[in-house]
Amino acid sequence: MYSSQPTRFPVTHKSVSLDIKGNKTDIVICKYDDKFLVIVTQIGCMGTILHARKEGSVSTEPTFSVSVIFGKRDEPWLLACGRQLIEHISCSGSSRPLVLSLGLKDHSPETLKELTVAVIENCLW
Amino acid sequence: MTSKELDTRFSELLLTEGSDSVGKTNKLEGQGSNDDVQITCFTEDLHDVTFHFQIIKLTKQIYVWIGCNTAKFGHLYAAAITRPNKTVAVTPVLGGTSDNTGSGIARRLVLKTGLNIIVACNIPKDSPTLEVTAERKLFEKLKSLGYIKPRPEGLPVSSAHN
Repeated sequence: MYSSQPTRFPVTHKSVSLDIKGNKTDIVICKYDDKFLVIVTQIGCMGTILHARKEGSVSTEPTFSVSVIFGKRDEPWLLACGRQLIEHISCSGSSRPLVLSLGLKDHSPETLKELTVAVIENCLW
Repeated sequence: MTSKELDTRFSELLLTEGSDSVGKTNKLEGQGSNDDVQITCFTEDLHDVTFHFQIIKLTKQIYVWIGCNTAKFGHLYAAAITRPNKTVAVTPVLGGTSDNTGSGIARRLVLKTGLNIIVACNIPKDSPTLEVTAERKLFEKLKSLGYIKPRPEGLPVSSAHN
């Protein structure tokens, strides 16, 4: 006889709300089987979506590819943020790619730095 | 390029509980209810298939993930109402260029909610029955959460063209 146990939802998520330069910023981090999803929003929608992944074999230094797949393609700091996060994921031992959505009111380096730190502080990898 | 130096100052940091239990809705604390991020996760066991649903409601957009038996991310689609003639535009954002599983769900979600929609879906290709079943369950949940606008009396089922 088997007792039925409630199964846990297979996707783990974590959510944080903080203030960055006076803008309320909501961060949601989700861990899927094959990807991480990070949603950062100040504007009530996902905004620009980036895809970042690790390339290269085990024996060589990893390289990273970051690209905008939806939204603003002329904001280099968004790519820099994605690059920071995928490297942090890689250094933590995971090879999963990252889907990063940034819906921001301002794209200044200070904002991107603060939200990068906030994501790393609350990461699921 | 490597960079290990980051500032660590925050103005305010509120940490909320993470949730990975079935059928639970989490609401981030916010200034008002309209600004809250609402996350709903639930699982439906149907015959020999298990569907997992994750709904993240933002103020102006809804993100939905549909997992069919697995927790793989799947293909990502974005859909929204376009102006001026209010048709619905759907585009694959990640994957999904060789099969459109999930794009129909995205389009009909926009029609029902009137919001911008981002859908991630890992339902296998060429499984219309699974797609329809998942969509039905999803719409039931969205309705119960109050995310779907009530249809005015006497109007037919919404179509893509007004």
